[in-house]
Amino acid sequence: MFKLLYSREFRQKAVPYLLIAPVLIYYALFWLYPVIQCFAGSFRDVNNKLTLYNYAFIFKDPTFYKALFNTAFIVVFSVTLEFLAAFGLALIINIKFKGSGIFLFIAMIPMALPAVAVGAIWSSGFATYGWLNSFLYYLGFIEKTAKIPFLAGGNVASMILIIIIDAWQVVPFMMIILLAGMQGLDEEAKEAGYIFGGTKFTVLRKITIPLLKPTITTALILRIISAIQIWLIIVMIYGFQRLPVLLEELVYYVDESHSMEFFRIGIAYSVIISIFVSIAAVIYLKVTGAFGKEAEETA
Amino acid sequence: MATLRLENLSKRFSKKIWGVRKIDLEVHDKEFIVLLGPSGCGKTTTLRMIAGLAEVTTGSVLIGDRDVTEAPPRKRDVSMVFQNYAVWPHMTVYDNIAFALRLKKADKKEIDKTVIEVAEMVKIPELLKRYPRQLSGGQQQRVALARALAVKPKIFLMDEPLSNLDAKLRVIMRTELKAIHQQTKATSVFVTHDQSEAMSMADRIVIMKDGEVVQIGTPDDVYFRSANVFVAGFIGTPPTNFFNMEVESKYGLKILKHPHFSLELDEQQGRILKNYDKRKLILGARPENIILTDKDKAIFSAKVLVTEPQGSHKIIAIKLDEQIVKIVAPHKQKAAPGELLHLSFQKESLHFFDHETNWRIEQNGA
Repeated sequence: MFKLLYSREFRQKAVPYLLIAPVLIYYALFWLYPVIQCFAGSFRDVNNKLTLYNYAFIFKDPTFYKALFNTAFIVVFSVTLEFLAAFGLALIINIKFKGSGIFLFIAMIPMALPAVAVGAIWSSGFATYGWLNSFLYYLGFIEKTAKIPFLAGGNVASMILIIIIDAWQVVPFMMIILLAGMQGLDEEAKEAGYIFGGTKFTVLRKITIPLLKPTITTALILRIISAIQIWLIIVMIYGFQRLPVLLEELVYYVDESHSMEFFRIGIAYSVIISIFVSIAAVIYLKVTGAFGKEAEETA
Repeated sequence: MATLRLENLSKRFSKKIWGVRKIDLEVHDKEFIVLLGPSGCGKTTTLRMIAGLAEVTTGSVLIGDRDVTEAPPRKRDVSMVFQNYAVWPHMTVYDNIAFALRLKKADKKEIDKTVIEVAEMVKIPELLKRYPRQLSGGQQQRVALARALAVKPKIFLMDEPLSNLDAKLRVIMRTELKAIHQQTKATSVFVTHDQSEAMSMADRIVIMKDGEVVQIGTPDDVYFRSANVFVAGFIGTPPTNFFNMEVESKYGLKILKHPHFSLELDEQQGRILKNYDKRKLILGARPENIILTDKDKAIFSAKVLVTEPQGSHKIIAIKLDEQIVKIVAPHKQKAAPGELLHLSFQKESLHFFDHETNWRIEQNGA
């Protein structure tokens, strides 16, 4: 027995596993176990019997499809708009004009605010008697009697409002990622572009953006994942179930409904959302080539 | 092919800091000019102003007879080799070289022909399909060179292109670059801080210090007729030895006095110093102009500090008070540390500099 423990072969093969064992145990206990529990729980009813009822309820509920559509709408439009705005801002700040440091600092403030605070700021802002209307009145754009009912719009108008508020908070975050990428670029590579016949636009298109591709993919996927998870701002401004999105539904069923039956449905929701986010993550890994590229790079 | 003219060219970085100050330079057609100076002297800034990558504060840049001071880089007909290669990592070697030609909308066959031609010129025809990350530093620099050659520019700019290569490769590339220049005859401006690189490649050298031009001349000019103490000390390895001397006159001949020795000058040399009677000057003697001699012919004697064998010759450092004087001796010369050596000057190759201004004392005796 001792002979085996002290043999070189054993040490070389076993020691690495022993060293990562604590992490594996940690993952099994605090990650794998809850995930399995949650997944299993989504197939059980209040009496712990196996059932597909939770999923059937969700797939029959028209609100689910509305939530799915709204989430997709927000993901596509908010991520696109935020990316374009963030990329433009990053390009501007990267020029390093006088005061760009202060500009960067101010632009970063919304990023530091928690979603609840953002929701509070803008729900009080967009309210009919909110500060935005007062401000517009003060500037002389609107009459005192003609306040704009920002929050009274239909589904699409509401979503546009949410996208704007979300962008207000998230654009700085994306901008920082892109800016960091830009500042890591080799300045000479761009200069060579100018020397060899490039205009500003050609250099941006043929050199800067291709070189920035890894950063751009990272920024986009991180944003897509967190756009799928948007809910708190919506609840802060519209309350539950007025503008349904996936995660808002999950919170509604788990937290607000106070019934075991709805709690199970909430768990099924969380499984569905996990699947969507995982799909996004897998696409990310495929696109960036993180799966097999490293081996090729070093070859 | 064209001439390049810099007129009163200046670059100001901030209120008090000038990068480059009032440079006037005329580069002839087909000439190979080297901008040489220590780091921070403004040589790279000058090159960047020629390229259009740095804005000009005052003065102008003329290529051919066209004023390009305000033109963007792409409208200047220049190409450039960068210090860190700056090849584009997301393009193959072929695409790197073809980039400028494609932007010019050149014919596909034409592009193909040019790319292969320049790739052969820099000896990388087999690497065209590779990506830069699969190449060594030296190969990447060859790609950068091919890319710059492909556009057949009026002016060929190089910003310390060899400084990232290892010592052996650097010397090989030096020779190749010079051969390529003789083949293409492109007017070239080459920036370096390495004086031996400058000496071996340049038609003319522009020596810069603190943003200003100190001397413009052929390698022989700057070596044998250094304009001031800075140039004499910067050019040549080991650098010129300097001695503070006092000038005296005796029977119409000039004698230079040093605490350790005195040096009698002949009539002609004395004439150069006619205005320096009883004044101080700086004597410059290159290591090879201090020669070993017999005791009775010696001007001064001193002890050996160390010897540095170089194979073909030997550098001997001797100590004169606190000053270290370096001389070049034949490789067979024996010189043990502490040994007393008897030395003399080759009088006809001495340099005289004004003690206050540090500038060379010229024939007309300024």
